[in-house]
Amino acid sequence: MAKKILITDDAQFMRLALRNILTQNGYEVAGEAASGEEAVALYSQLQPDLVTMDITMPGMDGIAALKEIRKVNPSAVIVMCSAMGKKDLVIESIQAGAKDFIVKPFQPERVVETLKKLLG
Amino acid sequence: MKPEKGQLSMRPATFTTQQCTIAIGVAGAITGTVMYGMSLSTADRIASIMLSSPIRTFDRLAASAIAELGNMITARAICQLAESGLNCDITPPSIIRGTNVKISTLETPAVVIPMVLDVGQIQIDVSLIEREQVNLRAA
Repeated sequence: MAKKILITDDAQFMRLALRNILTQNGYEVAGEAASGEEAVALYSQLQPDLVTMDITMPGMDGIAALKEIRKVNPSAVIVMCSAMGKKDLVIESIQAGAKDFIVKPFQPERVVETLKKLLG
Repeated sequence: MKPEKGQLSMRPATFTTQQCTIAIGVAGAITGTVMYGMSLSTADRIASIMLSSPIRTFDRLAASAIAELGNMITARAICQLAESGLNCDITPPSIIRGTNVKISTLETPAVVIPMVLDVGQIQIDVSLIEREQVNLRAA
């Protein structure tokens, strides 16, 4: 069965770009969240195998959402996907339990490689 | 075609926008605004490339693509600033469309960087100031 992925990004364009990469590579998009709050709510509802998480978003940012989701499920697989690749943010994300950090703009191969590594 | 940087200039704090402007706020050790101005046809061309399909109407998706371009460029610059010890953050981008819109960055003038690309020209307005200077002004 195809692995289910929840996409989180406030930019409609980025959600579409990620959706295209995922579906073209045999993954199922379980849902799309446009904010941290939405990602936390949809995580419990959809129980995806993996979450992609933007950081800079209006309202709850991606790092806060990452922490919230890891509270609900300490083994949740979350990959940060942000244009903001500052070292302190990368370190904070990984310490909070993110499995990887993809810096935008990304190549589709980079995304697929990460998903394969984490989901098999 | 390789993007080419045109002649740098300074502009006063108030200026008139181009047809399409992406505005991104910066806060932290450095504060202010970065703006990317372009014509609607340039915006259409960039969005078409990013979406891999021609734009018929400049809809929400096209706006989102253009906004994301500004977000990625600014974020990259902010990361480089962070490495030189100036830590700051950016706001989600906003898009301003329409001609003859006057924008004022109050007391902060801007450096204007014209970039020439094969899709047209993008004018980058960098209106930033170090926090210490802001404090001095307030005092």
